[in-house]
Amino acid sequence: MKAEQFQIIQEETNRETILHISGELDLAVVPQLRSALEPVMNRTDKALVLQFKHLKYIDSTGIGIIVSVLKLRDEIKAPFYVREVPPAVRRLFDMTGISRYLTEGTEAEA
Amino acid sequence: MNAIHLQIPAHADYIDMVRICLFGIASKLQFPFEDIEDMKVAVSEACNNAVLYGFPQDENAMIDISYEFADDALTIKVKNNGPEFMYSEAVGKAAPLPDTEINDLRVGGLGIYLMQALMDDVVVNTAGGATEIAMTKYLAAE
Repeated sequence: MKAEQFQIIQEETNRETILHISGELDLAVVPQLRSALEPVMNRTDKALVLQFKHLKYIDSTGIGIIVSVLKLRDEIKAPFYVREVPPAVRRLFDMTGISRYLTEGTEAEA
Repeated sequence: MNAIHLQIPAHADYIDMVRICLFGIASKLQFPFEDIEDMKVAVSEACNNAVLYGFPQDENAMIDISYEFADDALTIKVKNNGPEFMYSEAVGKAAPLPDTEINDLRVGGLGIYLMQALMDDVVVNTAGGATEIAMTKYLAAE
C-alpha cells in the first residue's frame, strides 16, 4: 500500500472553481478540506466542482463534508458537481445513499 | 487464534497507521482487494468514533487495536477506555441517507452504518467503562 499524501489543488476556470482532491480523505485532513472549501463554497458566480480522480480513500467524515457542501449549494442555489469518482469511492457513495444527490458534471457539459 | 496488537495515540493523525497494518495483515491472509478496502473503511470508522467521542479531555489517551486471525476470518478489535460511547443507541438508528429534500439531510450514524454494512459481524462491548468494537470479516471459501 502506497501512502499517498492528501492534497488539494484549486483550479479556476471561467465558469468553475475546481478542487482536485487526491490521496486519503480521512478524519486527519478534515480541517485541511474545510479550509480549502471555506473561501469558495459560498460563491454563486461559478460552479463548484470536486474532482475525485485521484482520491484513494474516503469514509463517513469525508462524506459528511460533501453532504454539508450539498446542503449549502442547494440553499444558495449554486451549481455543485463531482467529477471522475473512482469505483471504490462510488461504492461507498452508493451504500451511504449520497449518490442520488450528487450531480456528475463532465468537462464538456461544464 | 493468533493476534497482532497495535496501540496508537487517540488522535486522527494515527488512524492511517491502523489501515496500513490492516492492509499488510489482510493481504498476507489473501483477502480479496475489495474486502480489504471494506475493512479499511470499517476499522477507520471505529477509530474515528474512539478519537471523536472516546476521550473528552485526556491528551495522553491511547487506542488499542488487535488483529486476530483464524483460518477463515479476521477480527479487528478497536478499544478505548473513555466513557461509553452511545453505541447501543446509535446502532439501532444507523442507516444510509434517506430519500428526502437536500436540506433535510443528516449525516449522524453514517459511520456506524458503514461498519455494519462493510463487515460480516460487528459486536460492541461496553463493559467496565471501556468501549470495544469487534469486527469480523470471513474469507470466502474457495
